[in-house]
Amino acid sequence: MKSITTLVCTFTLVAAFGAALASPALAGPREDIIAGFMAQGAGPANPANGQKMYEGTYGTGKPGTPKCTTCHDISPQKGGQTRTGKAIEPMAVSRTPARFTDKKKVDKWFRRNCSSVIGRECTAQEKVDFISFLMTQ
Amino acid sequence: MTSDTHASAARSTKSAARPVKVWDLPTRIFHWTLVAMVSIGYLTGWVFAENTMGLHLWAGYITVSLLVFRLTWGVFGSEYSRLETFSFSPVHILSHMKELATLRPVRHYIGHNPTGSLMVFGLLIVLSTITLSGLVVLGGEENQGPLAGIASYAAGDMADVVHTSLVILLLTMIVLHVGGVYMEIKLTGEKLVRAMITGLKTVPAGTPALKHRKARPFAATIVITLFVSFAGTLLWDFSTMAPSGLATLPPSGTYESECGDCHMPYHPSLLPIASWQKMMASLGDHFGEDASLDEQTVAEITTYLTQYGSESWDTEAANRFRTVNPQKPLQITETPYWISKHEDISPDTFKRKKVGVKSNCGACHTDHYTGRFDDQKIKIPPQE
Repeated sequence: MKSITTLVCTFTLVAAFGAALASPALAGPREDIIAGFMAQGAGPANPANGQKMYEGTYGTGKPGTPKCTTCHDISPQKGGQTRTGKAIEPMAVSRTPARFTDKKKVDKWFRRNCSSVIGRECTAQEKVDFISFLMTQ
Repeated sequence: MTSDTHASAARSTKSAARPVKVWDLPTRIFHWTLVAMVSIGYLTGWVFAENTMGLHLWAGYITVSLLVFRLTWGVFGSEYSRLETFSFSPVHILSHMKELATLRPVRHYIGHNPTGSLMVFGLLIVLSTITLSGLVVLGGEENQGPLAGIASYAAGDMADVVHTSLVILLLTMIVLHVGGVYMEIKLTGEKLVRAMITGLKTVPAGTPALKHRKARPFAATIVITLFVSFAGTLLWDFSTMAPSGLATLPPSGTYESECGDCHMPYHPSLLPIASWQKMMASLGDHFGEDASLDEQTVAEITTYLTQYGSESWDTEAANRFRTVNPQKPLQITETPYWISKHEDISPDTFKRKKVGVKSNCGACHTDHYTGRFDDQKIKIPPQE
């Protein structure tokens, strides 16, 4: 009897958690953000280019951060670490559902990290590609 | 009763060499506990790492209690524990020293000899000053203990000089004390170390009758109780005061989350206002990364750090980190104080997984975000 209760509870929790995970994908914040970049002139998303950006080495930004994976793990599924040792949640949307749902944060980190890694602002197209790659992860 | 035995033995004026109880039990316990406390105090204050400070404080507090006891026992203890029995005139002390200098057998004293008594008084004075200055250091520099609400950092810093200098003097005196005991053993043939364990000394044959007043433990207890109630109440009252060095830091979600995104947020007291302002004006290149923020957030955080920079605090950390490295005024780990405090920490320790980098204060200083940096709160993560 007790094990059935446990089973039901676990199932309910898992279902609730799953729903919570899925909801941002159904709701609009991330899509709204992408739509915003498209309004700034970005064309259709190209996840393959996003992957190239994520995995590539630039070396044109600040010397300590030549690539995204200086701090983020090469696998978006895994967490990274800042140069000061602080943990970074995985970049993959499947692992960190809150990724790319807060416009202010998205702007802040693209501004900072494109500058640190590439040495310039990212274009609207690059931002869309980058987000779309991590949405597939 | 042993004292009766002494009395009857003393009645015959010319007697054979006989053991006499010189040091009563409380005095012996006092002596050896003091030896232990001074050793612990020396090791935890000077030899071991800072995180043994908790033990150091215990050694200090017990030493204060021992001194209170000994001074009271110096009035109410048994004969040779009483201060009056070994209070000699300077002339007397000098002539005894001259006698010692000949290195020939000297006149025998049952209790402390005149030169030894000088050492005993010296030790009582030096130990009292060491413990009292220690309390001022504790209150002023560490914002702990009964004087935390009263002593400023500057007072604590000054007391630290007294505390340290007197410890050097104390160590010298201990060497002289042990040397003196050794000398007396050689010159008089008395087994002095054993006497401080058993309490018994052998009185040479022909020693005249001894007066031997008994201890008055009841009177001593009353005096100690009165003193402890008085001093205790006073110190308790003091200890309810808020530590004088600590300001009240209202939490700032903006500061903690914006700065805490990439690193632990540093307590605002850890850099002077000028450094914080310079940092906030150069976020585009923040230790090799672009950490730019929107104007409004920059303004909000700058105001916060200007209000609560090191100038607003009187803690040890705020006082010490106010002196920055002029070449690297934004870097706490480049301040002269930071470097000198961490020079004994091996590079490997900083590489441990839970530490990672030198700037990860909270990895070891578990109270870092209070700005206190208590020595007792240092917990270095063990090797994985």
